[in-house]
This record gives sequence, structure tokens and C-alpha cells, in this order.
Amino acid sequence: MKNLLRRCWLLGLFFLLCSCGPMESNLDSATDAQILHLGNGTEPQGLDPHLATGVPEHNIIAALLEGLVGENPKDLSPAPGAAHSWEISNDLLTYTFHLNPQAKWSNGDPVTADDFVYSWKRLLKPDLAAEYAYQLFVVKNAREFNQGNIQDFNQVGAKALDRLTFEVQLEAPTPYFLSLLSHYSTFPVHRETIEKFGAIDDPGSLWTRAENFVGNGPFILAEWALNRIIRVEKNPHYWDSDTVTLNEIRFYPIDNGVTEERMFRSRTLHITSTVPAEKIEKYRQKSPELLNISPYLGSYFYRFNVNKPPLDDPRVRKALAMSIDRLKIVEAITKGGQIPAYNLTPANTLGYTSESTIVFDVEQAKLLLAEAGYSGGVGFPEINILYNTSEGHRKIAVALQQMWKQALGIDLKLYNQDWKSFLFTVSNMDYEIARGSWIGDYVDPNTFLDMFVSGGGNNQTGFSNAEYDRSIRSAAKTIDMKQRYEYFQRAEKILTDQVPVMPIYTYTKLYLKAPELKGWHNNILDHHPYKYIYLEKTD
Amino acid sequence: MTANQTLRADTIQGRSLWQDAITRLRKNHLAMAGLVILIIMVVVALLTPWIAPYSYEVQDLDLGASPPSAAHWLGTDTFGRDLLTRVMYGGRVSLAVGFIATTVALVIGVFWGAIAGYAGGRTDAFMMRLVDILYALPFMIFIILLMVVFGRSILLLFLAIGCVEWLTMARIVRGQVLSLRQQEFVEAAVAMGLSPLTIIIRHIIPNILGPIIVYVTLTIPSVMLLEAFLSFLGLGIQPPQSSWGLLISYGVETMEEYPWLLLYPGLVLSVTLFSLNFLGDGLRDALDPKTSKD
Repeated sequence: MKNLLRRCWLLGLFFLLCSCGPMESNLDSATDAQILHLGNGTEPQGLDPHLATGVPEHNIIAALLEGLVGENPKDLSPAPGAAHSWEISNDLLTYTFHLNPQAKWSNGDPVTADDFVYSWKRLLKPDLAAEYAYQLFVVKNAREFNQGNIQDFNQVGAKALDRLTFEVQLEAPTPYFLSLLSHYSTFPVHRETIEKFGAIDDPGSLWTRAENFVGNGPFILAEWALNRIIRVEKNPHYWDSDTVTLNEIRFYPIDNGVTEERMFRSRTLHITSTVPAEKIEKYRQKSPELLNISPYLGSYFYRFNVNKPPLDDPRVRKALAMSIDRLKIVEAITKGGQIPAYNLTPANTLGYTSESTIVFDVEQAKLLLAEAGYSGGVGFPEINILYNTSEGHRKIAVALQQMWKQALGIDLKLYNQDWKSFLFTVSNMDYEIARGSWIGDYVDPNTFLDMFVSGGGNNQTGFSNAEYDRSIRSAAKTIDMKQRYEYFQRAEKILTDQVPVMPIYTYTKLYLKAPELKGWHNNILDHHPYKYIYLEKTD
Repeated sequence: MTANQTLRADTIQGRSLWQDAITRLRKNHLAMAGLVILIIMVVVALLTPWIAPYSYEVQDLDLGASPPSAAHWLGTDTFGRDLLTRVMYGGRVSLAVGFIATTVALVIGVFWGAIAGYAGGRTDAFMMRLVDILYALPFMIFIILLMVVFGRSILLLFLAIGCVEWLTMARIVRGQVLSLRQQEFVEAAVAMGLSPLTIIIRHIIPNILGPIIVYVTLTIPSVMLLEAFLSFLGLGIQPPQSSWGLLISYGVETMEEYPWLLLYPGLVLSVTLFSLNFLGDGLRDALDPKTSKD
């Protein structure tokens, strides 16, 4: 009997115990040892810079590899990276990079111009099927090579002039090209390591395992325990290792914000990846110095699979987009100062803003749905909303599900998957409606809009519109900013008419930060070069 | 406890073992209280669609989470939905999964174990090795596989959980049967020419009801929690539907800000589990044929 009661209690307490973190570390000793403990949201999909697509991956890759151009930690302006200097030709088409002769791989090999040629070739190889390949389409003939029209990489505008000089020729002047070079898709990989573990275009290669990884960044991969921790240590071969103060960074994949907050409070994390909506108000009142809410160049949206009925009808998509109350979502659900969004590109991205034809108008939405043949929601097929497992995404999905039910009389089902399966399902277009988000890779409207060109690796909706593609291409060839933005606005108008994606809100960057963490500057891309970060005791 | 004992009881007082059991159970107040509470729970769950004060899915985002009040006796959740209503609807799922999955486990487990134990020899070895193999499979993976192959549906979830929970039951039953098989009353039944199936059903199973019932009362709470776990992973029931386990796991997330969201679902689940345990204890004592008559 006693035993029975105890079992019963144990079972009842099971969930309580489960939600307590497994961590044993302590921030007090971390300061002396200069070990940064960082909440990283979720287990990364992978650490191959040419295959990753997400923010958690970015946070880790930024420690392990370095591109040609680095970033100033405060304003993200270009800073020396693997290249110590560069020249831009007068016609803005040719960039010549001079590599730092001190730059070395973590095994001691020098970083050479050939490494960059090899790496960009890898990203563009059709068989690697990198979703981010289109990032380099600004480079001469890169698109042709990626689409298989050119077999010879020598015709692509990325050449090694000598061991330390790397020259890039562009299709057209590209104002954001230098900041593109601090995006991980353009980062170099170590040729011998890649070839030791597979072909150049083998996406399943094991080279990213902790024991195999060779990088040129300020840190080296020391340990990768799946779903538990990723640990990186200071790289003694790094050219600027004098600047690096941290000895170690530990990334914890915690996809539950509540658990993460609890770990922060018990002082096992220096910084969290987010803040649960319910906790924001409490921090605002009691310890505002720990809470951060700052502008973040990112859009939260839902993707519609335009190949699957009934979503193949633009009227249905538009009806869905017009019948949700975004203001209520940000005020009652997310609560972190997010801004309701009716456009994919956040307003005022580098001075760019677009009008939207999406408005909150339930009557109009009902009419559109009726026109599509589902008057009052009658006969609307049962479709699913997919989101990646996280209480924040779940809440938004639950609220939208109910808004659609009340406004349009349609019943949608919810289901969730972990991050890796989620990315896989979405990129295979095996969904009807999927939660999505996009954080700018650089500060330019192009980072949002060139996603949805026909066949784009991160399009993933099946959306394809010739005029849209033309507008994006025209914008890419235009130097005059005003004219360029007009092309973008034309493209964005098509996007809000056709609604392959339904914008919901513009992100704010929410995190909790321990007072010891220094050198962490807010910027709208939320990039924080780790070499400038250090820990300092506070009283 | 043997057949001739029953015979004597019949001739003298006309009271069967079952009647004895019921008398004993009635005297156990804790068990009776548990039984009454469970009956109330089941009745409320059955009547929920008609008696629930609010809709379980209509949201009032402006209201948000509010503490218990006259309008909402147990308060509202972060979407402004009435918690009492959600606990009532959640009870339908939790009780159903508890009873259905346990029944599935019970039926499979008892027959598998009893047949293996009674037949012995190679049949026993084969059947129990099969159980061992299934044991060796991580049961989460097994359930996830089932859900992936057959799709997400509540009924299937019930069956899937039942299909993994029967293994322990089979082992317990087999162990009991092995020890009973050698006893005189079974030999007597064999000598009388009864078929093995009849012997198992009429003579063996009634004698192992005690351990079975105890195990059932342990299984019901564990499948309720298992359901919550699976739903949380996206394999069980999905919003806006809910279950006690899910309500609790969501309540834990906000227990500092909105404690009532954890307190009330937790309380209801605990009361149910206690009732089940008290009833199970009472039944075991009452049904144990070895208990002396008073």
C-alpha cells in the first residue's frame, strides 16, 4: 500500500521533474574560466555551412568558421576577416580580396584563395542541392553553374589570382555584397577534410563530426553530444586569437523557453535564445536590466503549399491571410513588442517599405472564400498546420486555428515536429500550412524577397510567378536605390496578392542576459562575433 | 480456497465467493469512496457536452489568463478559455485513454501470459521470447512507428499505448500461472476432462485476479501520463482538444504566473489516481480467495 502510494506520487511528479534542467554548471566559476553558456533554442540541423539554413546553426557556425569579411560587433559594418583588405573596382563589379597570410585552419594549414574557390564551387554544385546556393547568384555565371548549364567552374566569377588573392566578378553591382560575405553560406571549408569524408557534393558527409571538423574560425568544435550540448574551444591557430578572450562556448539546445528561463534564473546560462511570453512582464517590472527587447530584422509568417488544394486557389490563401487579427496575436500571445506584419519584408528595412493588399477584413475574407466555392467554410477539406515543437509556436497556431474557425468556419488540424524533421518536411513540401520565419542574412530587402523566386531553395511553397522573378532580377541589376526599391515593391505587391506566405508579425529580439556577459551588442541581425565577447565579474 | 470450499459454502449459506468479495469491499470505506468518486468522474465525463458551462475552444484573447471567479470557477487559461470546461473535456480523453488502453493491455496480457504459463515448454519459451523482443524495442519508437504508419488518431493512440503496456502484464500473469498450474485443483480440473481454455478461464484467472487488479490500477495512471507525453511530442491529441496530462504540462510552464492552471488539473488527476489506487487495494483484498471468511 505504501509502495503503491509512492509510485502514484512519483508518476504524478514525473512532469514536474522532467521540466527541471539537467545542467550542473555554474556561472560564477564560468567567469574565471571564461566559459560562455549559451541557450541556443534547438538542436541544429547540421553544422555544414553550405547546408544549414537556420539561426541556431548560424550561432554555432559563426564560432567555427570565418568568411572573407567579418563584422563590426556594434554596427555590423565590414571588418577584416579571412581577408585583411579588399579593393572594389570603379564599376563595382570586381572585388579583389587579399587574404591574411596569418589565417590558418585549425590543423595549422594556411587559408588560401583556392579554399574559397573550392568552397564556393561546393555551395554551387548542383548535386549538393544547397538551399542557400542562390545567395551567390550575384556572382558572374554562378546561377548558370548551379543550374547545370555550365560545367566548368573556371567560367564562374570566383578566381584565385595567386595563393592569397581572391577575385570575384559580379553579374551586376550589388550594394550588400560585402555583408553577404559574412553569411555562413559563403564561408570556406577545408578541402582535404571534405575530401577525406566524401565527395565535394556529398550532403551526408561526416566531416562535421566533432573529431573530424577543421575550421578557420576563432573556435574549434570540441564536443557534440546530440540534444545535450555542443562545446567549442578556443582555436590556437586563429590569426586573431589575441583578441579572443573566451576559452570555451557551450551551446545548449533547449527548445522549451520555460525550461530555458528556469536555467537562466538558476544561473546556468549567460544568455537565452528567447523569453516566454508570460515572463516578459515580470522581468520588465522586477529586473529590467536582465531583459532585452530590441528590433530584429525578421519576419514570422506561415507558408502555404500552393500545390495542394484548396490552397492552390489564391482566393483561399488571401481569405486565410485576411481573417486573422495580428494585433491580438502580438498583444495577447507573443507580448514582446512584436509588430503586426502585412508584408514579408519588415517595414523600413534600409529605408524600404511596401504597401500591402492584405488587410484584416473578415467580411472580405468570407466573400473570397465563398468565391472559391467554400461559402461559410462548407466543404473545406481538412488540412493541417505544421509547426516546430515549441510552446511559443504552439500558442500562435492555437490562436490562429480558432480565429480561422470563427471567422471562416473552417476546421484546421495542428501538428508539430522537432526542428530537424520540421525543416525536412517543409523543404520536401510535404505540408499544407507550415509555420515559417526568416531572419535577414544581411540588411537589404533582397534577403527576404529573393527567397520566393521560382525554384529558390528557401521558397518551399511551390510559388512561381514570372513577373515576380523578373522584378527581382531587374532589382538586382539596378544601381539606383529608388528604382531598385520600386522593383522590390512591385515584387512584394505580387506576393501580397498571391499570398504564398502569410506574414504575421515582425520579430523583436528577446533574450535574458546575465550581467557578466560583456561585448554583446544589439544589432538588427542579432549577430554577435564571439571574438569580442568576454565575461567580467560584477558586484 | 479450493473448489470444495466453495461447495461447502454453497450448501451452508448460499453465499458465493463473489458475494463474499462484495461484502468485504463494502466494508472498506476508502475503496468505496474511491469507487464513488470514479463513478462521478465517469458520469461527468459522459455528460460533459451537455453540462459544460462554456465551449472548450472559443477563445477570449482580451481576457487572457484570469484567476478563479464567479464567472469562471476555475479561472481561464492564457487564451481566455474556461478551465473548468477544459478539465471536463480533458477528463473525457484521459479517462478514455486510461480505460481503453488498459483494457487492451489487460486482455492481451492476461491471455498471452496465461496461455504461455499454462502450456509451458516450447510454447511458453516462444511466447515469452516474443515478449522479450518487444520489451527490447524502445517503446517510444514503437509507438512513434505505429503513429507514423497509421496516422494520427485518438483511437489509434489508445490502441498503440495498450499494445505496449501488455508486456509486463503478460509476465506477471505467466509467473502466477506457473505456480498455480501444479496445484491440486488444476490437476483435478484436468482429471475431470475440462479443456485447457476452460481451465484457464474458470479456474486459473480468478485465482490471479489480485495481482492483475493491482497492476491495472498502476497501469491506468501511467497510460494517462504517457498520453500526455505523446501529445506533447505531437503524436497524440492536438489542440484545441486537451487531456489532463496536457493541461498539467501546459500548467507547469506558467505555474508561477498562473498557478491555477497547474493546480486544478493536477488536483483532479491526483484525486482520480488516489481513487483508483484505493479501489484497487480494496478489490485485491476483497477478491483474494485466501482471505479467511469472517
